[in-house]
Amino acid sequence: MRPRLSSVLRHRVGAVSVTFLVLVAVLAVIGPWLAPYDPLQQNQDALLQGPSPDHLLGTDNLGRDELSRLLAGSRLSLLAALEAGVVGLVLGTVPGLLSVYLGRVFEWATLRVMDAFVTLPFLVFAVAMTALLGNGLTQAMLAVGILVSPAFYRVTRAAAFPVAGSQYVEAARLTGAPAWFVLARHVWPKVLPAVAVTTAATLGSSLVIVSSLTFLGIGIRPPEPTWGGMLATSLEYLFQRPTAPLAPALLVILTVGACNGLADTLRDVSGVRAPSLRKEKARAAA
Amino acid sequence: MSRLLRLAAALAVLVVTLAGCAGANAGASSQTLKWGFNLPTSWDPVTSSTGNDINTISLVYASLTQLDEKGTARPGLAESWTYNADGTAVTFVLRPGLTFTDGTPLDADAVRQSLLRGKTQQNSLLKDQLATISDITADDPAHVTLHLAAPDYQVPNLLAGKTGAIVSPAAFTKDPGAIPTAPVGAGPFKFESFVPESKATLVKNPGYWDAGDVKIERLELTAGTDPTSVIAAVQSGALDVATITGRQVEQAKAAGLEVDVVDSFTVNQVDVHSGLAPLTDRRVVDALKYAVDRQAIIDVTNGGIGKVTYQPFPQGYVAYNPALDQAYAYDPTKAKAMLAAAGYAPGSLSLTVTVNSVAQSTAELVQQQLQAVGVNATIKVVPPGSSTWQQEVYLGRKAQFALDGTVGRESPVQNLGVVYGPQGLMNTSKEASPQFLAALDEVRRTPLEDTRYPQVLQNAVKLGVEMSPSFSLGTSPRIAVRNPRVSPLPHFLSQYRWEGVTVAAPGSRA
Repeated sequence: MRPRLSSVLRHRVGAVSVTFLVLVAVLAVIGPWLAPYDPLQQNQDALLQGPSPDHLLGTDNLGRDELSRLLAGSRLSLLAALEAGVVGLVLGTVPGLLSVYLGRVFEWATLRVMDAFVTLPFLVFAVAMTALLGNGLTQAMLAVGILVSPAFYRVTRAAAFPVAGSQYVEAARLTGAPAWFVLARHVWPKVLPAVAVTTAATLGSSLVIVSSLTFLGIGIRPPEPTWGGMLATSLEYLFQRPTAPLAPALLVILTVGACNGLADTLRDVSGVRAPSLRKEKARAAA
Repeated sequence: MSRLLRLAAALAVLVVTLAGCAGANAGASSQTLKWGFNLPTSWDPVTSSTGNDINTISLVYASLTQLDEKGTARPGLAESWTYNADGTAVTFVLRPGLTFTDGTPLDADAVRQSLLRGKTQQNSLLKDQLATISDITADDPAHVTLHLAAPDYQVPNLLAGKTGAIVSPAAFTKDPGAIPTAPVGAGPFKFESFVPESKATLVKNPGYWDAGDVKIERLELTAGTDPTSVIAAVQSGALDVATITGRQVEQAKAAGLEVDVVDSFTVNQVDVHSGLAPLTDRRVVDALKYAVDRQAIIDVTNGGIGKVTYQPFPQGYVAYNPALDQAYAYDPTKAKAMLAAAGYAPGSLSLTVTVNSVAQSTAELVQQQLQAVGVNATIKVVPPGSSTWQQEVYLGRKAQFALDGTVGRESPVQNLGVVYGPQGLMNTSKEASPQFLAALDEVRRTPLEDTRYPQVLQNAVKLGVEMSPSFSLGTSPRIAVRNPRVSPLPHFLSQYRWEGVTVAAPGSRA
């Protein structure tokens, strides 16, 4: 069943998750205008200040307003997670669908490539990619997208496999419908719910990875703020500002939680079950 | 009965466990020191690739000479040395009865073989430093003579660090590939075990020439402690000594730990590549030297610990030239005027500030300072990794304006060569004036005992500072946090040293 927004909103977890994500998305869009200060403006007379009426979340090690940086950092952090998600979606879903249709050689080759991606550690691969292509968020997220693509590939393939062998798809083929039409009209709608669930879950995990990478200084272009970058800086000054990591950490945790909550709700409303390729193959063979 | 047997067995296990614990505590209360520090890039001085490695390499190797607190060469394995009349040969007299930790004798021939390996081994990183030595002869078991290509009175300084670390010929002849992970030297400690990227364990070498001054019986070197948790590690006893930043001093003291702030050779600097536009215009380069507020960098990024300097040496060292004390004092108005004279209106000049991933705050601060004089700076962060900085800055020479630093060298001439020399690693422009090179040659030709030596050396420093597009920012003292049961660390400019350091029993103070 195709997930509808109204069905998602009827679930309490779904409603809370969507509301929170919409709020974060709105903040990402209009956050820079809401910021009380220029998020890049340093003030050496106000280093590492605690929360006050002037600076609601205090200031960082260079005297910049934390709230303004948090608001400005939302856009970059979310865009980075989205970029990784979209790259993973495209690189995983397209070959996942095609592997069911393009014969055994393509299937074998894509499976081996995906297996290879699974073995690569995120951090090492991201460092290697940024060393090769330059240390930018786009390059780092390309690396992350590549490494999350196996999740999309497997889910898509497992969901597409039983549909590909169904009678109505056979019938469509026999009527002379081209492969792209069969895929777009008959297969993709059946695969979409599973992909939607995976996308929501992957966005959450991508945000964690983005935060981890920017925490380590990978993919970041200072002085642009990111949640992970703010977290890293605040941890260096934990003694002077013990509460400083709370705000960026809480935002990461809540946003990831909302993504996961949305994924769970999508799964429930669309009736997606964890697909088992082995069972489907056995059923198709029978 | 069986219940009684089980009870007896449980009691026996308890007794054995308690005995084991007592034994462990007894071991811990002896002179065991746990030091949190980076493991060397290689335990072989010939292939070690960073200057910082001297801190760990010198645990297992002794050198012919060693620097004292002020950075002056003093006897090490060699108890004395003499130059010939024209300064083209220096003969070292070895201490009697020296041996390596593998039991083989450390005599003149061993010194000859070890130094020659640094000159000839294909992958040696010491070739440049040893280029001044044309030949080495073992005159007799106690006398080794270094024949020099030209007069050079810097050799005793040069050999006080990695360059002069003597490796057992028996070990490298048998298997040169083993030395980077299983070193054999004649230093204060003997190598016991090593887990790459993790830890190394060393035990006191009773055959070390100065073993009487080494009180530590066992030294456990642990790498990879997260900087944010290093104080907690010392507080908990997981480490006894570790390096911290100036920002952490207050926290360490509040935790009841001791802090040693020791002047060091380390000086932070900006590597400016004058071959990359717009830095090809000398007026722009000079303007940048006035545009950077060095004191603000020290205050904000290192808790105010360190001193502004315009030269690559700390105050109090023989090479430090007081005439440069105000050489490029922060003056944004002057910087703006110089940029205007060079034809750059505010906002019309752009450059890239290259920085490694742990110094982003410094880059952000510098970016704002440059912006204040009308320069648009973009920050480029070099990803973490042992070779990425080398590829970007030193070898690739892609950086216009790189925030860097020198940990210094045992010989001031060697340090000047690295920072300002035509082939110097940190001289990304790879240019040096003939006057500076002539001044360096004069330093080499001047005996260290000569009363003119400080003046000759400081003159070379001044020429280097004025000639070079690169510029120094400030000193970076070595800051160590230690458990109160460890006695204060000796103050050496060049490196961590452990002579005289004692470790009291847990819970007591040294």
